[in-house]
Amino acid sequence: MKRLREYIRLYFLIEAQYIKARLHYRADFFITSVGMVISSLATITVFWVLFDSITALAGWSFEEMVFIYGFYLIAISPMQIFFDHIWQLRFEVEDGRFIKYYFRPLNMMFYYMSEMFDIKGVVQLVVGIVLLIYASANLALSWTFGQILLLIAVLVGGALVQISLVVMAASTAFWIIDSWPVLSLTWKMREMAPYPMTIFSGAFRILFTFVIPVGFIAFYPSTLILRPGDVPMVAYFAPVIGLTTFALMYWVWSRGVNSYSGTGS
Amino acid sequence: MRKYLAVLRGQMMRGLAYRSGFFISIVGNLVFIGVLYFLWRSVYSGRDQINGLTFDQTLLYVALGSTVFILLKTHVDWVMSFEIREGAVVIYLIKPVDYQMVMLTFSAGSSLLAAVIVTAPTIALLVWGLGIGWPIGVGTALAPLALILAFLISFCFDYSVGLSGFYTESMWGLGIVKDTLVVVLSGALIPLQFFPESLREILLWLPFQAVYHVPLMMITQPDRPLGVQLTALGVQVLWAVALFGLTRLFYSRAIRVLRIAGG
Repeated sequence: MKRLREYIRLYFLIEAQYIKARLHYRADFFITSVGMVISSLATITVFWVLFDSITALAGWSFEEMVFIYGFYLIAISPMQIFFDHIWQLRFEVEDGRFIKYYFRPLNMMFYYMSEMFDIKGVVQLVVGIVLLIYASANLALSWTFGQILLLIAVLVGGALVQISLVVMAASTAFWIIDSWPVLSLTWKMREMAPYPMTIFSGAFRILFTFVIPVGFIAFYPSTLILRPGDVPMVAYFAPVIGLTTFALMYWVWSRGVNSYSGTGS
Repeated sequence: MRKYLAVLRGQMMRGLAYRSGFFISIVGNLVFIGVLYFLWRSVYSGRDQINGLTFDQTLLYVALGSTVFILLKTHVDWVMSFEIREGAVVIYLIKPVDYQMVMLTFSAGSSLLAAVIVTAPTIALLVWGLGIGWPIGVGTALAPLALILAFLISFCFDYSVGLSGFYTESMWGLGIVKDTLVVVLSGALIPLQFFPESLREILLWLPFQAVYHVPLMMITQPDRPLGVQLTALGVQVLWAVALFGLTRLFYSRAIRVLRIAGG
């Protein structure tokens, strides 16, 4: 516990410096935020255009789709904010810079990820919250204290799935060096997360539920809030899936870190 | 001309070194087409036609949109921002080459290679493997030309974002805004026929539709009157000429603010 407190203190210290450095580039922060808002709203535009021709997608209304998408943006934002450094891993493994993370008495994943704090992820989080509030007001959802706790719990589960999938894909760099193909494929699969998994059948449903469980980032957990009376069985496992994939990811990462031998330079 | 052909060949050779990436692109795209199939099947549930498009037409439109994406997106914006930031851009300024032409042939090399290695096998697999209907008509013959023009227009978008690297380091923000506008407003994600009437009228006057909508319409509905199809090509030519003119103007201004620290 004392160790955890120490890590939290350290994290704040590191990020405070990082953010101070970033804030020198005000214009960059502004343009980046605008870009984040526009790209986050692209999917909403697609929904809006689609629902001009249809009234429901696999039984889900426009407002429900907005809710799931808002949930999705919130669930993917911790990855964007705290784990953004993972995109650099393949370069640092390739040219040997990664070796420096072995030389501090810190948890290596913590040390590695703490080197970046992505402010635009906060913008993504805010857009997600706004969409979630908009949708829940339009759907007249009634919020009890218990439901808010449930929402937070399933959001954490979704965030863990998102983090685990991307970090695991990136960690393949420890073995194959150029992890880009694996990363981009995973990233593309993840774009399916805000769609109702019920539209898929057969191999695709199995793929997105069990193999690359993107269904657990947003769709399954948000059904627990949206339609408590009509929840697919698997949805109840959402928090468990989050913890399990995270444990699996940490195991893969540790194996990778231990097998890396640097570049000899 | 020979010097640009060397750039083209060099980029194709470089691309060939990353064969596993192409294989993953094919697999990823096929899975994505599978997703599109389920998504649009669910949209069409029980209806024969929506906005004048049958399910088969819509599926072919969006599946090809995803398949030609790899040809039409050039990544030249990222290459340029890197070269400008690192100062590597200077090697083009001291050589007797035109920077825009170098970047164009550089992107053309990647796209040509992707056309042969990714797009062609994917289309073959869709048509002969999965039996997706492929209509034949005048438009089929015009489509390659429309795709080349689409590539030139798409290149201008990417190149102008790349040029803004002379002024700002906020490349992520500018790039993502451009990418979002292109895929949403061009029909790459959702056929333009699905947009509400008034909005569609506006979109048809913008350059984005010349990138995806024009070639995709020629492939999915090749039997429209010849006049309509030639007009669409004409519009593409106009946009390509206008955007090349604008980007050259932009370059001649941007190059003046370039400062490179030492060597």
